[in-house]
Amino acid sequence: MDVVQLQSRLSEYLKSLFNDGTLDGQFLQLQQLQDESNPDFVVEVVTLFFSDSEKLLDDLSSSLEQPNVDFRKVDAYVHQLKGSSSSIGAQRVKNACIAFRGLCEEQSIPACLRCLQLVKQEYLYAKNKLETLFKLEKQVVAAGGSIPSLDAGS
Amino acid sequence: MEMDFCERSGCSSPSLTPMATPLRKVFGRIPGLADGCTNGRMATRNRQVPQQRDSEQEEFQHANSDCLSSYYSVFVARLAIMVMLTILIGLLTILTWHITKSYTAKSLNNLAYGLRYEILQRPVLRMWNILNSTVDITTAQVKLSEYIIRQYDNSVTQAEQVERYESMRKVMWALFASRRALDAITINYRNGFVQAFHRDHRSNNAYYIYSDLTNYSIGVSGSSSAINMASPLQGWDNQSIHGNLSAIWYQEPLDPTTGDKIGKARQILPDDLINIAGLSQVPDGVASWHVAVSKYSDSPLLSAALPVWDPDNESIVAVVGVTTAFYSVGQLMRELVELHGGHIYLTSHEGYLLATSTNTSLLINSTKGPELMMAVDSQEQVISLGAQWLKRTYGNNFPTNHEVHAENARLADQQYYIDSFFLNLKRLPIVGVIILPRKYIMGKVDERAFKTMVILISSSLSTLVVGCICIFLLTNGVSKEMKLRAELISHLNARRKAEASSNYKSQFLANMSHELRTPMAAVIGLLDILICDDCLSNEQYATVTQIRKCSTALLRLLNNILDLSKVESGKLVLEEAEFNLSRELEGLVDMFSVQCFTHDVETILDLSDNIPTLVLGDSARVVQIFANLISNSMKFTTSGHILIRGWCEAPGLLRDFVKPPIDQRKSTPAFTYQTKMKHIGCRKRRESKNHNEVMLCFEIDDTGCGIDPSKWESVFESFEQADPSTTRLHGGTGLGLCIVRTLVKKMGGEIKVAKKNGPGTLMRLYLVLHTTASSTKQNIRANYAKHDVAVLLAVPGSMSRSVMSGWLCKNGMFTLEASEWNGLTQIIQELLQSNSDTVPLQGFDRQYGQKFHGMDGIDNRDGKSPVLIIVIDIGLLDLSTEIWKEQLRFLDKYRGRAKLAWMLNHDTSNVVKMELRKKGHLLMINKPLYKAKMIQILDACIKERNSESLKINHNSTSSAAKYCPPESLLEIDAVQFDGGSSDDSSIEFSDLRKEDINESGDRTSSHCNNEERKITCNKRVSPLQRSVRSNSCVAKESLDGLRILLAEDTPVLQRVASIMLEKLGARVLAVGDGLQAVKALNCELDADDTASGQYLSNEKRISLAKMQFQSFDLILMDCQMPKMDGYEATKLIRKFEDGTGIHIPIVALTAHAMSSDEAKCLEVGMDAYLTKPIDYDLMVSTILSLTRRKDTTDEE
Repeated sequence: MDVVQLQSRLSEYLKSLFNDGTLDGQFLQLQQLQDESNPDFVVEVVTLFFSDSEKLLDDLSSSLEQPNVDFRKVDAYVHQLKGSSSSIGAQRVKNACIAFRGLCEEQSIPACLRCLQLVKQEYLYAKNKLETLFKLEKQVVAAGGSIPSLDAGS
Repeated sequence: MEMDFCERSGCSSPSLTPMATPLRKVFGRIPGLADGCTNGRMATRNRQVPQQRDSEQEEFQHANSDCLSSYYSVFVARLAIMVMLTILIGLLTILTWHITKSYTAKSLNNLAYGLRYEILQRPVLRMWNILNSTVDITTAQVKLSEYIIRQYDNSVTQAEQVERYESMRKVMWALFASRRALDAITINYRNGFVQAFHRDHRSNNAYYIYSDLTNYSIGVSGSSSAINMASPLQGWDNQSIHGNLSAIWYQEPLDPTTGDKIGKARQILPDDLINIAGLSQVPDGVASWHVAVSKYSDSPLLSAALPVWDPDNESIVAVVGVTTAFYSVGQLMRELVELHGGHIYLTSHEGYLLATSTNTSLLINSTKGPELMMAVDSQEQVISLGAQWLKRTYGNNFPTNHEVHAENARLADQQYYIDSFFLNLKRLPIVGVIILPRKYIMGKVDERAFKTMVILISSSLSTLVVGCICIFLLTNGVSKEMKLRAELISHLNARRKAEASSNYKSQFLANMSHELRTPMAAVIGLLDILICDDCLSNEQYATVTQIRKCSTALLRLLNNILDLSKVESGKLVLEEAEFNLSRELEGLVDMFSVQCFTHDVETILDLSDNIPTLVLGDSARVVQIFANLISNSMKFTTSGHILIRGWCEAPGLLRDFVKPPIDQRKSTPAFTYQTKMKHIGCRKRRESKNHNEVMLCFEIDDTGCGIDPSKWESVFESFEQADPSTTRLHGGTGLGLCIVRTLVKKMGGEIKVAKKNGPGTLMRLYLVLHTTASSTKQNIRANYAKHDVAVLLAVPGSMSRSVMSGWLCKNGMFTLEASEWNGLTQIIQELLQSNSDTVPLQGFDRQYGQKFHGMDGIDNRDGKSPVLIIVIDIGLLDLSTEIWKEQLRFLDKYRGRAKLAWMLNHDTSNVVKMELRKKGHLLMINKPLYKAKMIQILDACIKERNSESLKINHNSTSSAAKYCPPESLLEIDAVQFDGGSSDDSSIEFSDLRKEDINESGDRTSSHCNNEERKITCNKRVSPLQRSVRSNSCVAKESLDGLRILLAEDTPVLQRVASIMLEKLGARVLAVGDGLQAVKALNCELDADDTASGQYLSNEKRISLAKMQFQSFDLILMDCQMPKMDGYEATKLIRKFEDGTGIHIPIVALTAHAMSSDEAKCLEVGMDAYLTKPIDYDLMVSTILSLTRRKDTTDEE
């Protein structure tokens, strides 16, 4: 494939991520922050997000499995997850987290478990998508093109 | 009767008890029913959730059955009341009757008894008298006889004998005559000689009866007396008398008064006339009494006999007999009965009648002659019947006291009183019976009682009937009400069902639209891909675009339905975010003006200056409100204008800041920046503490067909259109205004259709929104007045022109108006070309005409020289022919003296645009013209003028052309608008500005401030555009040299924030929690503390702290962190600062975005707060404002 085709695929893909709500403007802001001094900034942050989120999700699962669920702790985890997901612009994860927090206030364990499942799904979905995106970007870079980030998402 | 009543009450009491239970039920149910009603009402109030519905229905059925049963129980209650009334009236009747009747009867009975007793007493007394008198006479006769006999005891001669008898006769006559009641008086001598007087009462004749003396030998009698000495009865032989058949009896009639002989004696048979009492009647020598009958009297006689003893009391010499008739008793009784009615009779103990009150015979003629008659056999029917009744009732067992009082004895179909008294006279016991007809005593009473009874019964019956009718009528109302209530309940039921079904419907709609949205999104996405595809032919492209438009419309409809159902179910939550209201509205107007253009309608936005730029609220919903309203107006407006007017109603909220009177601002231009900034600085804290509410009022004024006043309310109902016939013409679902109203209400506002002069509709609404701390930066506009700016508006639309010129005037600029080309040329020529002597056009000209002419000579030496800006609508050019080029050329002549700004239509052809650009007309905006665009024009012009004044050589115009990318004049499209507000013109301007920056090289501080203000004004734009702008207009290193401590536990956020800050030139130290943050601030301090022990002087501590604290200019603090959260850390830091005079700004980072969190942040001593995710611009402006304030305070 030639570079132009790759580039258009990449931008289409990015667009689709925006359209289905996986990402929002915050991600673009991240991309804005990436420049020569931090060439892999987005990848770095997103990777950070992945590791952080996985840790949080593990913590969440384990604390929900406890006999006496400490909802404040759960709430704090979800809050953290919400913060980080909104920072990278993973909108759907963020929305799931908002719903989760609402349920935390109700203190219903089955609902929380369901919601955790949802958050996990969203997270995996976002992760999948983002990884694909990075793969595409890499291909573009390998093919020698630049990443067309600015005109995407309008 | 009484028995009857008892029976009735007896049988009604068991029937009452079951009746009482339903009654109680009724009373028990009534509050229950009320409960049911209120429950029902409550239930209608809180909208049904499906689960509730079942229980409600149950409750409802319960209420229904309640109603039915209560309906029946009303019926039962009615019956019960009627029965009770009946009983009451019956009781009253009976009581009345009883009292009147029985008391009278009793007293009458008593009286009657007395009367009867009295009546009977009198004949009995008479009888007693008769007896007594008989006894008296008899005794007198005996005594006299004894005397006479003793007188003549020794007479032996015939003559002496005769003399004795003669004297005896005289004595007897005297006695006989003295008593008229006497029937007969007799004396029977021992020798058989009899002397007697007899009175016939019927003929009133008296007779003297004697036996022949010759037949009696006196001597015999004398001799025999001695013989019979031993036994006094010896020789007294009735046979001697009766057997002495040879004795001749004579009857001599006498004069009843004198006793003289009036006739010859005639011979009669012995005992023919009267009974002569003989010795046989005094067998034991004592007096005897008996009732006898005589041939010549039809009444019984009472005869008494007494013996006459000789002087020695040894023998009986004669027997005296006296006979009295009862005739006089009968007479008395008749008299009595005549007075009182009824019958009286007296009988002997054996039952023989002695006297009656009738005239019938008391004797029966038998073979043996007349005999006494039994009362039973009396010819008088009443007497015989009474006797029979007595005999039948009592037989021979008379009551012990021998008295009988019987009432109501029924004799021959008549009621009688029968009373019987027993008089126990010695030797002659007598029974008196009185029979009185009841009618005589009680007749009137019975009659009256009967009449009373009849009247009572009839009156009580009529009362009963009337009462029952009354009850029926009364309870009829109640039962009617019951029926109504039942009906009401059934209606309620129906309504609830209808509501439920409508609820189901809307739920269904919501679900459906939600489900439909997903495929719609896919369709639109695919269409977008298709549109991006290059290999489409033009026709295909047009079709696909059309399809996309339709899909978008469909999606909007679905969204509307979803919105509506969301609002109805109360699930719509308004987000609270900061947005630029005027920018949103400008974007809307931009969008709609494109649509308007086809129908020759002006869209004008007239926002007052006092509207805060930034407000908190749900921007999407606010935009939706206006989009719906504008599109609605547009649908019905074919020509004229749509004017959106907006102002802030509560300026008190921004009291000391907003709207400093315009002239004041104008008059004190020197007081510009620094004071203002200080103002902001002070205000910032104050404002942020109380979230200010503002009331924003808007009017949407169109010149369409208008709405009928009767429909002003109903147009806000769902699926409602003012005129159904227009549906086909204009389309639409009728949901728009409904959504608008629900949204407006949700925002605490109100919307209504207002009265308007002239055609069209005027919608008036207000919203209550919050302003934020940063909104205080609003309204800082450059003072155009000081630049001496004049504006010539060459715009065909009169409304927009007048609105705009009004605003310009208010801001201290002078305006001229022209509506078409000729006018424009005239004004231009007048102003710029003609000589100073020409007649001034307007007041403006008088002031400025001179100046402009002078300006020619001065040639822009001074930067403050007045400038004329001509805003020309492209429509003024004649584009259909080639004349417009001529017109351009004409305008070119005045390029040097006036700035030209072009208003383009969205469909202005590229040829024209290119031509304009080629000619160096770079100021181009798209219609419509509104405040923000005007400001941009003004800014650009002033800047251009400034740069011109700096650089004599102004070839910048040509270089500017290079910077203008061809697509900078984007055609605004409604679809694009959805993504964010389009801001094409600002892009253009920023390019211009960049150019300026490059050219000028050095930046004044005020310039920089200008830039920042710009940022704050343009806050709410899409991230992409923002980043474009941030690249261009924000100085790359605006935070250069700032030392920032970032406390954030989430690695992702930490990384992102630090990169952001570093990019801005700040130096960042990132720590993971609050404790580390505090440590980072204090590490040196602590170290010193430990080194020098606790004896650190206060001054030193302060200086150390100063030193240490000054190592950071600002702290960004996450609120929720492990170990120590942001609040704690802040408190600690503030404690350290206490007394040192240092105040390091702390900005909170929080994801909560709620006012309570904000309050908490400010309470612990933070200066500002930012929400996550971090908004780039907001962060920069916040940091700058905080650090700058510090700078200024330092300077002070």
